[in-house]
Amino acid sequence: MPLPADTDVSTPKYLRDKYAIVGIGETTYTRGSDKTTRALGTWALRNAAADAGIKTSDIDGMLSYSNNDSTSATFMAGDIGARLNFYMDCVGGGSSTEALIGIAIGVMEAGLCNCVALFRAMNGFSQVRIGGTGARSATPVGGDMLHNRAYGWQSAGQMFAPTFMRHMYDYGTTPEQVAMVKVVHSEHASNNPKAYYKKRYTVDDVLSSRIICKPLHLLDCCVETDNATAIIITRADRAKDMRHTPALIRGIVGRCSKPRMDMHYQTGPISRVGGYYAKDILWPNSGVGPEDIDATGAYDAFTFTSMLQLEDYGFCKKGEGGDYVSSGITRLGGKRPNNTSGGHLCEGYTHGMNMVIENVRQLRHDIDDSCPIGADGKRQHTYDYREGGCRQVKDIELTANLGWANPMTTSGMVMRRG
Amino acid sequence: MHTKPVPVPDEVSAPFFDGARDRKLMLQHCSACDGWSFPVRERCPHCFAAALTWRQASGRGTLYTFTIMHQVMNPGFASAVPYNVAQIDLEEGVRMVSNVVGIGNDALRIGMALDVVFEDVSDDIRLPKFRPVAG
Repeated sequence: MPLPADTDVSTPKYLRDKYAIVGIGETTYTRGSDKTTRALGTWALRNAAADAGIKTSDIDGMLSYSNNDSTSATFMAGDIGARLNFYMDCVGGGSSTEALIGIAIGVMEAGLCNCVALFRAMNGFSQVRIGGTGARSATPVGGDMLHNRAYGWQSAGQMFAPTFMRHMYDYGTTPEQVAMVKVVHSEHASNNPKAYYKKRYTVDDVLSSRIICKPLHLLDCCVETDNATAIIITRADRAKDMRHTPALIRGIVGRCSKPRMDMHYQTGPISRVGGYYAKDILWPNSGVGPEDIDATGAYDAFTFTSMLQLEDYGFCKKGEGGDYVSSGITRLGGKRPNNTSGGHLCEGYTHGMNMVIENVRQLRHDIDDSCPIGADGKRQHTYDYREGGCRQVKDIELTANLGWANPMTTSGMVMRRG
Repeated sequence: MHTKPVPVPDEVSAPFFDGARDRKLMLQHCSACDGWSFPVRERCPHCFAAALTWRQASGRGTLYTFTIMHQVMNPGFASAVPYNVAQIDLEEGVRMVSNVVGIGNDALRIGMALDVVFEDVSDDIRLPKFRPVAG
């Protein structure tokens, strides 16, 4: 794939596979955690350290992101008994997971620390719901809100829906096609004991669920849950001593954006999303292309956000996303399954973290489904994907995560089985 | 009874709302690059010049895309649902967010010709909205 003339890939090229995700942890995905985000964060971090087979005191770097609805590294470090050589709490949402893993690689490469834990803790159902709706809407509108809130345009679904409408108009995409994203992810979730929603849905279920904002139905929208999630990143050579097969990080693109992030719809076609630009960084940095990828984790805040990203990252031609997501390609047993955990539509809403965690488990060939556990302590995967069955993708070697903040900003990451 | 959010103009956006009060759609125009811009900015988003002046726009445009709100996300809109939120491509080359009025939501069509009207939201604030061009 040719590179844009002004892209310097000399450094990323040499960092391919040099760092790895070695530990993953999560709390339960619930509604009504009855815990503080601080308690949730500690829970997830301890699970991630145990998963890696390290002591929490081995963590010396920490990153987190939130929209003022979480806890910070300053609390987490003491709670888990880690003395930090580096930490940073960032503002941000769905494009943060992959971007912050990129930052973790950068600070370790620069010698600031050796082992970074990234966490996201949120009571996204019982405390701060995404979108600033309800009572928080009543504040006076000023600044850039002058030109949207006064017209009744504020929640994430409301903000993204016009993008989908225009995609339908330009390319003939149908709600039936896009509903298949929910159908497929719900099939995956039915084989995921952790998933908040394990029920399998049909296209009719999606289209007959109540309309939220045209063309989005209730079942086109992701679940809101309370949970924390954590990911531990370190150098691949250190990963050899840890419990699991490492997920090597091939390449990252972080918070790559369209022009005019403030008002993205001002510039060019509205159905173009950040992946249009991000693909020219992610694939060269990773040294692979979409055709090499065995499974994707395309952010499903809404059904059609998965579709738009798969399109603009080049998994299909622009405008053919409706065909792609309804063709069976994205289903377990298909050519390139998407969001095998059930994603944000079914497993739980974590602002992107659980889609990376799922792909790490996939690359270990040790997904946590209901298959029997053998004498070696690993599941004996059946690759029978019927309800309640297997979730492991056979012989998976390469995954791509496509993170979404909104139509204008995306992060992406390619991982390889170590 | 909740009311719809009422804009509180600042010193930069005041001319937009002053114009709306007089039923004029005012946009910023850059005398350095001849570019129009929206929403309100301190400098031209095309060339970053500070030479922005306010001009009355034609008020004519076409419907670029829209959505129809059924869920009440803001209690001020509880009595308004289902209502549309539209993006309108103005003749001047900028795209603005507003509501299309004077037509049922089912009759909205991408590409339809629209022109500006003004609706009172408080004693001091009028908002530009759009209606289908007759005929």
